[in-house]
Amino acid sequence: MRLLIVEDDEAIRTFLERGLAEAGFQVDAAADGLSAEALAVEGIYDALVVDLGLPDIDGLEFIARIRSQGSTAPVLILSARRSVDDRVRGLEQGGDDYLTKPFALAEVVARLRNLLRRYSTQPESSHIRVGDLDLDLVRREARRGDRLLQLTAQEFALLEYLCRNAGRVVTRTLILDHVWRMRIDPATNVVDVHIYRLRGKVDVEGVLPLIHTIRGIGYVLKPV
Amino acid sequence: MSLSLFSRARSTAAWRISIWTTVAFSICSAIAFVIMYLLVARDVQTRSDAWLTGEGDVLSDVVANTPRDSLDTRLVEEVAELASHEVIQIEDPGGQPPQSVFFILTRSGRDPIFVGPSPQKLFMNAISGMSTRPDVPVSVVIPGHELPFRVVWDNVPDGGRIYLGFSDTAGAVMMHRLVTRFLLIWCAMALLGFAISAAGAFRTLQRVERISATVDGIGTQDLGRRLPETAADDEISRLSRTFNRMLDRIQRSVKQIRIVTDSVAHDLKSPVTSIRGSLEVALLHGDSEDWRERVADAVEKLDRLSQTLNTALDLAEADAGALPLKLETLDLGALVENLSDLFQPSFAERQHTLHCHIQPGLFIDGDPSLLSRTIANLLDNEVAHLPPGRQVAVTVCQSEQYAEMILEDDGPGFPEELRTRAFERFVKGQHSSGHGLGLAFVHAIVQAHGGCVTITDSSAGGAQIRIKLPLVKVPA
Repeated sequence: MRLLIVEDDEAIRTFLERGLAEAGFQVDAAADGLSAEALAVEGIYDALVVDLGLPDIDGLEFIARIRSQGSTAPVLILSARRSVDDRVRGLEQGGDDYLTKPFALAEVVARLRNLLRRYSTQPESSHIRVGDLDLDLVRREARRGDRLLQLTAQEFALLEYLCRNAGRVVTRTLILDHVWRMRIDPATNVVDVHIYRLRGKVDVEGVLPLIHTIRGIGYVLKPV
Repeated sequence: MSLSLFSRARSTAAWRISIWTTVAFSICSAIAFVIMYLLVARDVQTRSDAWLTGEGDVLSDVVANTPRDSLDTRLVEEVAELASHEVIQIEDPGGQPPQSVFFILTRSGRDPIFVGPSPQKLFMNAISGMSTRPDVPVSVVIPGHELPFRVVWDNVPDGGRIYLGFSDTAGAVMMHRLVTRFLLIWCAMALLGFAISAAGAFRTLQRVERISATVDGIGTQDLGRRLPETAADDEISRLSRTFNRMLDRIQRSVKQIRIVTDSVAHDLKSPVTSIRGSLEVALLHGDSEDWRERVADAVEKLDRLSQTLNTALDLAEADAGALPLKLETLDLGALVENLSDLFQPSFAERQHTLHCHIQPGLFIDGDPSLLSRTIANLLDNEVAHLPPGRQVAVTVCQSEQYAEMILEDDGPGFPEELRTRAFERFVKGQHSSGHGLGLAFVHAIVQAHGGCVTITDSSAGGAQIRIKLPLVKVPA
C-alpha cells in the first residue's frame, strides 16, 4: 500500500512518515500543496493523508483539485481545528475521513486501514477466526474452542471490531467510534470497563489470553 | 488661533447640523414669502383693475352722452384729467402731471383725444396693436416706462373707441418695499436661527464629546470605569447606558478569559511536571522494564491534557457563537439509551444502579456528536463523583414543547455554594479531579441548541440535572 503524506509541519510529517512506514506502508511525503498535486495525479497512491493548513493552497482546495483531475484515492484529513467545519464533515460522508490534532499514531493507522478496506472489494466472509476464537457473523455467535461465549449484542460488536483488527492496536476513541458510533472522549474509563467484562468472558482461566492492553494506547486482540 | 478654532468648529457635527437646519429654515421661509408675495400682488392688481374698469365705464358714458359739438372734445379731456388726478391723490400729493394714467379716445373722421404723459405717439403705437375683448384689462408695455400699463378699452357710438391705461406705481412701490423688508428680516432670522441651533447642537454634542473622552480613557487595566448616567431618557443618555452595558460585558469576558488562562496555566503545570518526570526517569533507567510503564503513563496524562484543551477551545468557540452545529433530526431517547448502554457497566462496576425511563419518539434538532459528548459528560460526572452503591435514574420525557432529559441520583447532591456557579468554567468541587469545564460545556452546548439546563435537588436528596431541548414537529 502506497501513501502520500501532505503536511507542512516537519515534526508531524517526519513522525507520520516513520510511524506509517513501520506500520507497513510505503510512504512518500510533500510539504506543500502544489508539489503534492504533481505527485498525487500520477495515480500511484492508494490513500492520501492531507493536512488542511498548507502553506500555499487550502487543503480542501487541494483535494478538490486532485479529484477534478481524476484521483479517486481516499483521503484522511488532518485538521488543527477542534470543531471541524461542515465542509470536512461533508467529505467524511463522501467516503473520506478526518482526524483532529493532537492524534495518536494508532488512530491514523486504523483510519487509513479502514479507508483502504472500504475502497477494496473484498467479499465479506461470514466467519472470522483468530486462534481458537471463532465468530459467526451471521448467527452473531462467538466460540472459544468448543465453548459458546455468552455475549450481549454490544459485547459481540466489540469483539467483532477487535477481531477485524486482530494484530493491530485500536484506541479507545476508535472503539467508541466504530462500536458505539459516537465521537466522544469520556473522562472516565467506560471503554476499559467494557473490555474488562469482555475479557472476563473470552479469556477465562486456563486458556491463552487473546485481548491485550497496550498501556497508553489501547487494545489489541492477538494470539500470543 | 481663532482661525484654527473656526476650522475645528467647521469639522464638527454640530456645525453641519446648524448649517443644514439654517438652510432648511431659510428655504422654507423664502417659499412662504414668495407665495405671500404672489397673493398680495394679485390682490393689488385686482384692486387697480377694478378702478380701471369702473373709470373706463364712466368715461365711455361721458363720451356717449356728450353732444357732438365744438365743446365735446374739451369736456371729455376735462373729465379724463379729473379721473387721472384721482390717482395722483393716492400716489403723489405734490400734484405733478400724472405719469401713470393715460386716456385715448379715437373717433372716425376726427383727431383722437389724448390725455396722459407725452410723447403721445408711443401710447398710440402701443394701443394700435391691441386686439382683446372690450372691458377686460390687459398689460401693455410702453417704451420708456418701467412698469407695464394695465389698459382697458370700450366701444363708443360713431365707431370710436376709448382706451384707459393705468400703471400702478403705488402698488409697485409697496411690493418693492415688501421685498426689501422681507430680505432684511429674512437674513436676521437666518442668522438668529443658525445661532440658536448651533448653540443647541454644540451643547448636546459636547455630551457626546465627553463620552468619547471618557471611553478613550478606559484601558484594559481599568475596565471598571463607567460613564455618568443621567435620569433623562434622550438618545445621548441611552448612548451612555449602552456603552456602560457594553463595558459590563467586556469586563465579564475579560474576567472570564483571565480565569480561563490562569486556570489552564495552573492545570497544565502539574501534569506537565509529572509527564516530564516520568519521561526523565524512563530516560535514566532505559534498560529496566519500568520505562515502558512510565512512557505509557506519560501518554495517558497527555491524552487528559489534550482533552482539557479541546474542551476549553470548544467552550471558547461556543461562547463566541462560532461552534458549528451540524443539526440532524434525532430521537433524544435513542441517543440517551445508546449512551446509557455504554455507561451501564461503569455504573455497575461501582455498585450503582442505573435506571432508564425513556419515552421514545421525542425528536429534536441537534448535533448528534456534541449532544453525545454533553450527555456523556453528565454520565461521567455521576460515575466519577458518586459514592459507591447509589441509585441513578435517567428519564427522557416530554414537557410541553420540549424534550426533557432528567438525570438524578441519591448521592450527596451539589454543595450549596457551587449550585449557582456550577455552569461557570473552572468551578469544581473541593474533591473533584476533573478540569472544571464539564458543566460549563454542557451549559454552552444546550444553550447553543436553544435549550436550557437546570440543577436542583432530587426527590431522593441527591442532585438532579434537567436538560430541556425544543421538540421538532414530526409529521405523524
